Amino acid sequence: MEALKNAFDFSDQPRLDLTIAGALALFLLIFPLLPVSAFALATMIQFFIFSLYGMGWNTIGGYGGQVDLGKAQYVGIGAYTTAVLLIRWDIPFWFSMPIGVLLAVSWSFIIGYPLFRLSGHYFAIATIATSLVLKDLFEVWDFVGAARGLEISPIAYQPPDYLRLIFKEDIYYYYVLFAFFLVGILYLNWFRKSRLGFQLRAIKDNEDVARSLGINVHWAKIKTYAIATGYVSVVGSFHACYIKAIEPEDTMSLDISILIALMAMLGGAGSLWGPIIGAGILIPLKSYLKEWLGGMAGLAGMDLILYAVIIMLISAKEPRGVWGIVERWRRRKRS
Amino acid sequence: MKRLLQWTAVVAGLAILGGLLAPAPALAAKEIKIGAIYPLTGGAAAAGRELRAGAELAAQLCNEARSDIDMTMAKAAGIQSMGGAKITLIFKDHEGNPTLGADLAKKLILDDKVDGILGCYHSSVTKTVSAVCEQYGVPMINGSSTSPGLTERGFKWFWRTTPHDRWFTKDLFDFLVGLSEGKVRGVKAVPREDINVIASACENSEWGSYVSKVIQEMAAEYDFKLRKSLLYSDKSPDLSSEVRSLRASKASVLLFASYTSDAILMVKTLKTQKVQPRIIWGQDAGFDKPEFRSTLGDAIEGILTRSVFLPQVVQIKPVAGQVNSLYKAKTGNDLGGASARAFTGLQTWIHVLEMAGSSEPAAVQKAANAIEIPGQELVVPWAGVKFANTGSEMGQNIMGSGLIGQYQKGADGQMGVEIVYPFDVASAEMIYPFPQW
Repeated sequence: MEALKNAFDFSDQPRLDLTIAGALALFLLIFPLLPVSAFALATMIQFFIFSLYGMGWNTIGGYGGQVDLGKAQYVGIGAYTTAVLLIRWDIPFWFSMPIGVLLAVSWSFIIGYPLFRLSGHYFAIATIATSLVLKDLFEVWDFVGAARGLEISPIAYQPPDYLRLIFKEDIYYYYVLFAFFLVGILYLNWFRKSRLGFQLRAIKDNEDVARSLGINVHWAKIKTYAIATGYVSVVGSFHACYIKAIEPEDTMSLDISILIALMAMLGGAGSLWGPIIGAGILIPLKSYLKEWLGGMAGLAGMDLILYAVIIMLISAKEPRGVWGIVERWRRRKRS
Repeated sequence: MKRLLQWTAVVAGLAILGGLLAPAPALAAKEIKIGAIYPLTGGAAAAGRELRAGAELAAQLCNEARSDIDMTMAKAAGIQSMGGAKITLIFKDHEGNPTLGADLAKKLILDDKVDGILGCYHSSVTKTVSAVCEQYGVPMINGSSTSPGLTERGFKWFWRTTPHDRWFTKDLFDFLVGLSEGKVRGVKAVPREDINVIASACENSEWGSYVSKVIQEMAAEYDFKLRKSLLYSDKSPDLSSEVRSLRASKASVLLFASYTSDAILMVKTLKTQKVQPRIIWGQDAGFDKPEFRSTLGDAIEGILTRSVFLPQVVQIKPVAGQVNSLYKAKTGNDLGGASARAFTGLQTWIHVLEMAGSSEPAAVQKAANAIEIPGQELVVPWAGVKFANTGSEMGQNIMGSGLIGQYQKGADGQMGVEIVYPFDVASAEMIYPFPQW
């Protein structure tokens, strides 16, 4: 009960932030009802997806300071669990998704134990390696379709299928993800004020001091890593139903892992709103630059150049991301 | 710096908000909109440029009356059964990303209100895009994705003009058997044991992994020893461990399914490590691109590539020569496997629309299932286009065929591709074995 109260307690946040957040939440709630294009809706779905990935990454990467570049493996576990259970045994999404989380969290404990014996660059490299090894295993594992992956046939189910999460129109997917998005924020709000959240920030500041205070550093990192995994796995399960065709190269590639970390870092790692800001800037920017410039003759690749320039500008201005810029501005205003 | 950042943020913010809230554009009259989703950036960008140019040329021939081209669609301007309606192509770039491809398909269908889709080259993207088309009941004609599984799904709104990899791989094994039987022009019968051990390295998405699977099946069927069967990412910056593994296999025949950048990297690494098989064969795609030739230069002499179009086809088919001249004037290159198939894909769309007399999905579906385009209309050396509408390969063109070509230096010192299979249309003697690097 206390945890639930804490999740809904945003009293430590500035009023202005809460007002903006509330207005944006209202905007997101009515967004599909506005006369928006299908592409805008698809872009917003990608925004929710990467916000949730980023929130997950933010727990271990932002609050914990552990640069995890292997989150794609848990996208894969979630996506494959849902696809395999649906295709082989017709188990609906709402049952397969928790099973996926369970499998992903179990896997995170197995590899988290040795991984967190490492730190700094070694940890980051090891997370990449574990993710790529799992991807390679999936590529030769016939049970999960090997490298060709699995397809949830659009003609096998009659949409709208709320149990299996098979819809024709994106608006259904939008609201399902919106609900996940709100739950994700509440959970992250609880997490940052929880005992584990404080422990993790102490670890990030100084591991030796944290240890001397009686914090089990290794165990705290493993538990947080599992929480991050849960976020990513849920969205992975959703991705399988949304895109309906998954393959290791698409769901478990290094690109996905990097993008997840990039969203949170660019928005502001270690802050409640950072991953949402990161995804809110990068996803629409990437999509619309692609949409406007991607198909134009003679301008192929220009969208990617502009995208990269904007990322570089933000990084050069404030390495702590957009949230860092906001905080600096606030400090200046106070003083 | 500060001002620049502020302006960038303001412009980007307004642009995003404007884009998100912009309503879907209205439908214009008297035009048929076809959404063309291709990889215009990324590792297969070179292929994307070819695909785009091929499709654009077909649209141009349909929209303008060209009496010098011996094709029905070029005889009058526009779709005649629809009052001369013009074809408008809307290009989108999927980067080889299946998720992005699906989003773009929704955009084309729901926002741009296209009448149909053409694409997508990468089989993995074609898979997600065709699933979106199937859900919305929008016709999709695919000209260049060759994973056999695409037409094994029972889809009612998906048709594929190109032959698929099961056919192409069968061609390869028939060619190898022919080589051991002395059927290849310019080569005496090669002892079977000289070419009996094979190894493959294929990129690891839908297309490459299916090619790998088919090679395994065919090797067993034709009694070849498959010593190694590798999968790798086409985005890999380094393929040295894969090549070391191929060298360790001591295979005399190396088979590849690669997109452009990885095909170039693979051959460079084979050369660096001095891997010396008797035969190197590429499953079209990267091995058939102008960039493959221009980047690797003389190093590729002797490499085999399967294709559906080689410049020598113009000697057999005058219409291919006519279109090739236009294509060369437009791009500076000859038609290749990708551009010829994109051309044929859109040409099939035009014939289907002409037969349907309407862009209504049901009419298009009916016409596509009944269409029969004779071979003399096509630039590719096929018997024609006719789609299977029953059985296990719904929507597959049953009149397609493939070619195997070999890179050879001509008398003018230029690297070209000569046909070595089918044996009866071979345009030159084959170089065998593969020359020393």
